[in-house]
Amino acid sequence: MNDLTSGPFFAGIDIGSTMSKAVIVDAQGSMRAYVVGQTGAEHRLRANKVMEDVLQKAGITLDKVAYIISTGYGRVNVPFADKQVTELTCHARGVASLFPGVRTAIDIGGQDAKVLRIKDGKLIDFLTNDKCAAGTGRFLEVAADTLGLDLNEMGRISLQTDKPVRINSLCTIFAQQEIISRLSEGQPLPDILAGVYIAIATRVVKLARQLKVEPPVVFTGGVAKNAGMVKAIETVLGTPVLVPQEPLITGALGAAILAHDQYNRLIKSGEYDAHREKKLSEARIDFGENGR
Amino acid sequence: MSETATPAKTDQKRAINRLKSMYPLRNLVQQDYIDTLNASNEGKPTVWAMLNYWEGDLPLKAMGLNIVYPENYSTLLASTGSAESFLDASDSDGYPTHLCGYGRSTIGYSYRMMKDLNGRIPPEAPLGGMAKPTLLLGSGIICDARFKWFQALGRYFDAPQWVLEMPMMGTAEGTEPDLEGYQIKFLVRELQAFIAFLEKLLGRKMDWARLEELIDLAVKIHETNWQISELRKSIPGPMHSTDFWSSMPPSLFFAGDMATALKLYQDMLAEVQERVNNKIAGINYPEKYRIVFSELPPWHSLKFFDSLAEKGWNFVFESRGYHAPRPLDFSHVSDPLEKLARLSRNFIFSIHPCALEDGIANPVAEVYLQTAREFKADGFFLHPLISCRAASAGLRSVQDFLMKRLNVPTLWVEGDIIDKRVFNPQETLARAEAFEQTMEHYRKVRKAQGLDW
Repeated sequence: MNDLTSGPFFAGIDIGSTMSKAVIVDAQGSMRAYVVGQTGAEHRLRANKVMEDVLQKAGITLDKVAYIISTGYGRVNVPFADKQVTELTCHARGVASLFPGVRTAIDIGGQDAKVLRIKDGKLIDFLTNDKCAAGTGRFLEVAADTLGLDLNEMGRISLQTDKPVRINSLCTIFAQQEIISRLSEGQPLPDILAGVYIAIATRVVKLARQLKVEPPVVFTGGVAKNAGMVKAIETVLGTPVLVPQEPLITGALGAAILAHDQYNRLIKSGEYDAHREKKLSEARIDFGENGR
Repeated sequence: MSETATPAKTDQKRAINRLKSMYPLRNLVQQDYIDTLNASNEGKPTVWAMLNYWEGDLPLKAMGLNIVYPENYSTLLASTGSAESFLDASDSDGYPTHLCGYGRSTIGYSYRMMKDLNGRIPPEAPLGGMAKPTLLLGSGIICDARFKWFQALGRYFDAPQWVLEMPMMGTAEGTEPDLEGYQIKFLVRELQAFIAFLEKLLGRKMDWARLEELIDLAVKIHETNWQISELRKSIPGPMHSTDFWSSMPPSLFFAGDMATALKLYQDMLAEVQERVNNKIAGINYPEKYRIVFSELPPWHSLKFFDSLAEKGWNFVFESRGYHAPRPLDFSHVSDPLEKLARLSRNFIFSIHPCALEDGIANPVAEVYLQTAREFKADGFFLHPLISCRAASAGLRSVQDFLMKRLNVPTLWVEGDIIDKRVFNPQETLARAEAFEQTMEHYRKVRKAQGLDW
């Protein structure tokens, strides 16, 4: 990757509620580098940092990046982006680039869950959970904290059983209390953990069914890295799901591909140079030795 | 994309191109609150009434009573950002948070008035507040909250209560042709009993000539509103939903002086007609998407619609349930109570025969299918309300019918009429942006199917 010095390249930056991701693609639309880091409270600083890191990883400088699209909750805090695009659109594009025949995508992030229906690579419908942390990665984090486990370990342990206990609480905080109650009743830990995954999967699959799930189904987002969650989604959905090698970066990847598309449109219409000049005059970002 | 005239320069600051004729109609309802406060100060009887689809409003007005509508006042509380303290007061008195938001805010208002302030109007109440009622008029139409809520209010006030009823609605069986006569008789009996109750309570007789005059005005107000609705099918949509919501109380509640309201609606009709003639839109941006809104709006966040207007989203129509129904021919009806009964019944029963003709048993879905076709909707903004079962329960079915029958997509945004804590405008705007892609997709699908929008 480091021998690439010619451009143009395209970047997608996804500032999510928990994690920030950046992806670089080349002129053929192939991914050249990606990075993932915690978002934290300072979105602008995080945007600068992931951009700096992904440039370094790709072995290129910012001036080789012809177009940048930002997405995610913090997309407005990426001042060097040429354009902002909603994460729903970017996720759909990213997933379709990895799995061209995809019809349904389920994405579970740190604080939200969304279900996308995709056709010919485009988003045609979607639903999101927007009122409650149950059914999101936050629910898992609370369970992991309660049990003193890390998330990966929790997933592995849950796979040891086929007898999940029923977690009835719809509220993340009450579910935490329910987990403690189940432990004190002497229920085996793997059964409790499998029950936690099934509880989350049930909520998300309910959302998916409102959109009429059509296979193939792709499962993305940070939570898709967890083996216990993948199994639970497949169990509740009743169909296998495809998981990308790096399920966290589909939004950033989609943003980078859309950046590539947008660049081509501007070149074709002869508007790119004027756009770039305007953008450069607005930029006030220092990327250290990788900056322009 | 439809053709839209360039907005006047002076209007460019506002994303929504408000109708000038809307403002006096909006002010008319505000005058009702002031008049009721004055009446109360003079020791005259005052009424808190539930929206009753005109069964009760006109007899009350004919007997010279001043009426305010807690349901309407709740929207004012929300739109002025004053609802939260009253919601908290309702919580403090032990009412659960999942009850009707309108109910909770006025229960909280009553709690403040009667328990905290010994009968005085809460100083934080907008528009001078609602005067203490001497009569509570509930309604059994649409949902149980509408009389249970008034029962709850009755526990704060030493005021008589009455509940008006409507025959069963929402089912195919309710529309059997031979039932109509029974339903009218039922409603006439309801009205007779109500009028007898009012005469006893007030110690004076009904002014029948005045009642007939008001019924005629009501019919004309509805006819005018129906004509406005018809004009709104034009492209670009000449009147934004926010103008409808701001101007609906004089039609929905017959708020204000009805002769004045009729004149103001006629002015509105003329202004909308002028916009149609000149292809002027209800937004000051090119109309990119024609959107229909359902159910009740987030009253606390109406500014949110400006952000959507800037993106070219024109809310061309909204829930039919708050509109004047298709006008009836009353020429064969001479009895004023029968006329009033038919006017009320028309709201509920006018749509169901159309649904059955269309091969579905769901009148709510039928309303929206008709609206989608007639208004050439690119999408529906469905707003299920956390605290309103009646308004929200059928929306999934509506969503399914719109997609299955017409390939019209819906943006599903949970929220509430009163409680702004459950509505997330920023997140909704992000979803709206993605929804544009969905609408573009289904435009192509509809065209491929031979539909004309």
